[in-house]
Amino acid sequence: MTFRAPGWLLLLLRNPKSRIGVAILVFMLVIAAIAPLISVAHPNDFNLLAAGQGPSWHHLFGTTDQGSDIFSQVVVGARRSLLLGAAAGALATGVAAILGVTAAYVGGLVDDGVNFLTNVFLTIPPIPLLVVISGYLKGRGMGTMIVVLAAVLWAFEARILRGQALSLKNRDFIQAAKAAGEPTWRIVFSELMPNMISRIAAAFVLVFYIALLTDSGLEFLGLGDPSKTSWGVILYWAQTNSTVLQGEWWPFFFPGAALALTVLGLVLLLAGIDEVSNPRLRAEKPERRRVLAQLIGGRWVARAEGSV
Amino acid sequence: MSALEVHDLSKRFPVGAALHRSYVHAVDDVSFELRPGTITALVGESGSGKSTVARLLARLHDASSGSVVFDGGDVTRIRRRRDVLRYRSQVQLIFQDPFASLNPVKTIRHHLERPLRLHGIVPTAEVEARVYELLRTVGLVPPEDIAAKFPHELSGGQRQRVAIARALAVEPKVVLADEPTSMLDVSIRIGILNLMLKLKEEHGLAFLYVTHDLASARYLADDILVMYAGQIVESGPAEDVLADPLHPYTRLLLAAVPEPGAPVERIELRRGLASAAIDPAEGCRFVSRCPLAIERCSQITPRLVEARPARAARCHVTAPEPRG
Amino acid sequence: MTTVVEERIRTATTGRATVLEVRGLAVEYGRVRAVDGVDLAIGEGEIVGLAGESGSGKSTVAAAAMQVLRPPARVAAGSVLFRGEDLVTRSKEELRRHRWRNVSMVFQSAMNALNPVMRVGDQFVDAMRAHERIDRRIALRRAGELLELVGIDARRVRAYPHELSGGMRQRVIIAMALSLNPELVIMDEPTTALDVVVQREILQQIEALKRDFGFAVLFITHDLSLLLEFADRIAIMYAGELVEEAPAHEIAAHARHPYTQGLLQSFPPLRGPLERLTGIPGSPPDLADPPPGCRFHPRCPHCTPGTGALYVRQTTERPALRLVAPQHRVACHLVEEAGA
Repeated sequence: MTFRAPGWLLLLLRNPKSRIGVAILVFMLVIAAIAPLISVAHPNDFNLLAAGQGPSWHHLFGTTDQGSDIFSQVVVGARRSLLLGAAAGALATGVAAILGVTAAYVGGLVDDGVNFLTNVFLTIPPIPLLVVISGYLKGRGMGTMIVVLAAVLWAFEARILRGQALSLKNRDFIQAAKAAGEPTWRIVFSELMPNMISRIAAAFVLVFYIALLTDSGLEFLGLGDPSKTSWGVILYWAQTNSTVLQGEWWPFFFPGAALALTVLGLVLLLAGIDEVSNPRLRAEKPERRRVLAQLIGGRWVARAEGSV
Repeated sequence: MSALEVHDLSKRFPVGAALHRSYVHAVDDVSFELRPGTITALVGESGSGKSTVARLLARLHDASSGSVVFDGGDVTRIRRRRDVLRYRSQVQLIFQDPFASLNPVKTIRHHLERPLRLHGIVPTAEVEARVYELLRTVGLVPPEDIAAKFPHELSGGQRQRVAIARALAVEPKVVLADEPTSMLDVSIRIGILNLMLKLKEEHGLAFLYVTHDLASARYLADDILVMYAGQIVESGPAEDVLADPLHPYTRLLLAAVPEPGAPVERIELRRGLASAAIDPAEGCRFVSRCPLAIERCSQITPRLVEARPARAARCHVTAPEPRG
Repeated sequence: MTTVVEERIRTATTGRATVLEVRGLAVEYGRVRAVDGVDLAIGEGEIVGLAGESGSGKSTVAAAAMQVLRPPARVAAGSVLFRGEDLVTRSKEELRRHRWRNVSMVFQSAMNALNPVMRVGDQFVDAMRAHERIDRRIALRRAGELLELVGIDARRVRAYPHELSGGMRQRVIIAMALSLNPELVIMDEPTTALDVVVQREILQQIEALKRDFGFAVLFITHDLSLLLEFADRIAIMYAGELVEEAPAHEIAAHARHPYTQGLLQSFPPLRGPLERLTGIPGSPPDLADPPPGCRFHPRCPHCTPGTGALYVRQTTERPALRLVAPQHRVACHLVEEAGA
């Protein structure tokens, strides 16, 4: 049995951008995984004697005002932040894919209904909504945050995936499956979606990093759960304790850098996925026009083309 | 005894804005029948509506009007999933583009197993054996190797054979072939055509062979239907129609096909398009290109008239309606 | 034999001077040799047909002749001579001026290559003004004349491509190819995407234009039956090699190469007796790993083990193109043995 997965995986790894992105992400994941092993102290431990110290060999990232080790906080916080981002990404992408592709294939009232739903969710400004919801909710557990983030982020991906599914649905092999009598759900899941893997993967990565940033932003504003450790919460405490005013840059810098690095990795991975999947889309017509322009050899023609 | 009967089938597609709704008459009042053990060719150029007819029969489009009678019932009326499924297991469609009709991320085995499982053709234990048997029937050997491959690993001709095997899997009565060879290399086409002949003879299938190529229609078909601008303009046994065409469009087609060795016939150049009519007016749709046109032709739409036994044409001049 | 002597012989036999010649041409895409040692000459005002199926290399020959090969394709060996001068060594600017003025090209589905946001007339004008100083209005008028020549109303210079049908667009492309009165027009599957009636109209038009303007045509297609009607001479390509070349009537009546014979057997006749045809079993080889010896041997009905020395030759030695009749060349061991 030949396996398809390694095919595109290899392509992805060959692309320099996604190679770096994957490397960064793997690094972050490994750190998060082994966090309990490498954190020097429990993140919430505090030791007033060691409070407010800058980075040193003893405390790689320095300590907070309460003397907690920032390195441990960042490393342990990675788990929660990454998990939250990934779960929100997965949920949002899952909902977007199912609704978007089904709407595209089935058409008619189902399509109208999903479009309406998407429009409603798209017009709501996400940040204010999130602020209101998280301010209102009593329980701010991880599950709630994940659902809230996914609810806000699924709509625009649904639109994009619907668009791609629309272009696929009239291809002969889908019509052949329909003519063979395949039930709708099988066509959506087993025939259409496998041909949209790269777009769905891209959607996941995109929502992942937006969720990550948004969640960290909310936590920074104090709307998260300040008793749990995650990057945004570290930033929140740093802000609350006015550490910058005291010239202490490290409680901000390190969690911020971790966040930025993760987002960078995801963005690079996304760029790589796009480059890998797009060349095949870009091939045809512009290519022929370019050949014609080249054949005629006119500078004018080339200029009119613009992108030749 | 017919396998499939088509009565006054029509399909109109809306074009234009909601306020100025116009309709393209892709298929207009088409009637014919398909009989077991015969190949009927549906010949026409692009825009004639021939592919739409095939898709209507495969229920990929809903008809605007008319009926398709199969196994005693009108197929255009059925709604129940069970009935639709049964119809789909009896009437199969083969597509033109061998590169697009197979799912690129699935193996050949998957393509052949699905219809077998969907329609419960054989018990689960026998599915694999049946897949290999189907591959052998269409000449793809060794079947174990082929079944494990993905579409991009096969050539165009091989893919088309897989498409035919897929159609055969459900043991249909009717096979609709929509230009199955036009995208294949010339030397491969004969192989596919011969396969279709073999299947017709050995399995008694009724074929509808949609094509723009008159020569292959002659090679393959027992009966021929010529379509122009959504209507059937001539019908009859293939050999007779091609030897002695009644409709001027059929004559034009015959003159246009390259025939090495035959004296080169020059055809009249025309200015204008020839495809499905939008909101067509009364009158013959071929009138602007017809060398035989008379006044009546632009005023009254000619009807399909049986001018000779088993030969019909839609032309005021060569197949006029009998008076009285 | 020197170039000059060969040319004299060729002109003497065919009665025409050579416009374009491809000599020992080999084109590679990475490891794959799409074209492997092709010699072909086109004389003034001649219609030369190049027939072959997918993977035969015929389109690559056309691209090489126009020097528009796109990397990773590159000319690995041989030369492309226009009126005796090698194009491979020309500079980009010289090539730019040479193209369209001396040799122009119509390629497959070129009708989709028109710029959709420019009027048809403007595209003509651009092409003309790229090569000569000409007033815009005069160029536009000439564009109208050219459209009339291909059977399109001159007023359509103001049309946008999407307003014209596929057949009309292809005629526009042909008119554009003629706008600078080139000596040779290379046409790669110019009518494949079109209906049979439109195809015949366009071919009739090309013939008429050729009579009036005197250009030569290299007509590339997979449809041998078209060439048998329209071409003066036909060359057959298989798996990157030229396997047979002869005047059209010779090919129709006395094709020697088993592949050509197989091809001729693949066209169901429109008139005459109807019999079961056999076509050619198998499929064209993978050019990354072609069969040893004669590339057609796995599919050839005349290649069977048990024929001793002949079989050995067929499977190990590449046959060379040899003259077997006046102007008729074939690359086949069987034909060689029969002739010897």
